[in-house]
Amino acid sequence: MIDIVVHPNIYYFASIVLFLIGFYILLTHPNLIKKVIGLNVMDSAIFFFFVAVGFVSDGGSPIVEAGSEALTVNPVPSGLMLTGIVVSVSVTAFALAIIIKVYQHYGTINVEEIYVVRSEREC
Amino acid sequence: MKFRDTIVSIITRFMLPFITLFGLYLIVHVHLSPGGGFSGGTVVGAGFVLLSLTYGISMQERKFSHRTSTLIESGGALIYIILGISAFIYGQPFLSNLPIFPAGTPGRLFSGGFIALLNIAIGVKVASTIVALFDSLGGEDLH
Amino acid sequence: MINLFHFVLILTLIVVVISVAKIKDLLSAVILFAVYNLIMSLLWQQMRAPDVAITEAALGAGVTTVLLVAAISKTGRLEK
Repeated sequence: MIDIVVHPNIYYFASIVLFLIGFYILLTHPNLIKKVIGLNVMDSAIFFFFVAVGFVSDGGSPIVEAGSEALTVNPVPSGLMLTGIVVSVSVTAFALAIIIKVYQHYGTINVEEIYVVRSEREC
Repeated sequence: MKFRDTIVSIITRFMLPFITLFGLYLIVHVHLSPGGGFSGGTVVGAGFVLLSLTYGISMQERKFSHRTSTLIESGGALIYIILGISAFIYGQPFLSNLPIFPAGTPGRLFSGGFIALLNIAIGVKVASTIVALFDSLGGEDLH
Repeated sequence: MINLFHFVLILTLIVVVISVAKIKDLLSAVILFAVYNLIMSLLWQQMRAPDVAITEAALGAGVTTVLLVAAISKTGRLEK
């Protein structure tokens, strides 16, 4: 296998970069579906960080036979992240259901246009 | 919108048994390999969603209607709770293994007590949850 | 020392997520997001976390994409 010399903590840097790009999408786009996508990107970055915490280079998969002494990665952080993936998908489904209701009520899913419609209805 | 693509429908007809078989493999081999009730149930449910996307909601209604999906979803959770509570008969804590399910040899399919049964219940529940989620989020307009 | 394949996958992830942030068409953004989840699942399989990879490939690349496309078909396709 070809090896190149990079900083060994590149997984952590990459997860931080992905988290920041997801946060950028969440903050700067007025469209609600784009905000949900940004939230999912942030979720994936956190899961990537946790999997990278448990990663051991040259380690095998954590499927051990009885009496085996092979070096494996740490399975506990990835086991925690299984629950996180489920929560992320549930939050996405709930947010999309609310977005469809918002569209039926206001006629748009742009946040700034929703403010305009609300101020017009109050007058 | 009645648009049916030839490539998509033929590939769906070819791939659907393999998708379902892989999901069932993930569910049944939970104590031996990566996977589990949740992952396998999601794969099986995604197969049904693919069927509904390709051939329309009427085909999926004939195979797996909304009422059946609701009944199966409640039944999966009920089987899990009943299996967990049945350990009380032998004076054991919740979800302890019953003596009628032998531990077996590690590495074989029939081993690990009733973990496989619990995960079959979880897989059935998750598969019908995915189908019900797709139905109630307006899947009928998509095909 | 780091595997070259991991490095290529990480670079692809960052490029794909920047294009998700920049694109205006919501349907294209959702398809690119599915690609992002699939590459992430491949990276986790290479990092020896196979159960997380299976769950992410089924849930992130499959179910999330279907739900987002359903929501887009109910609302509007273009981001204004």
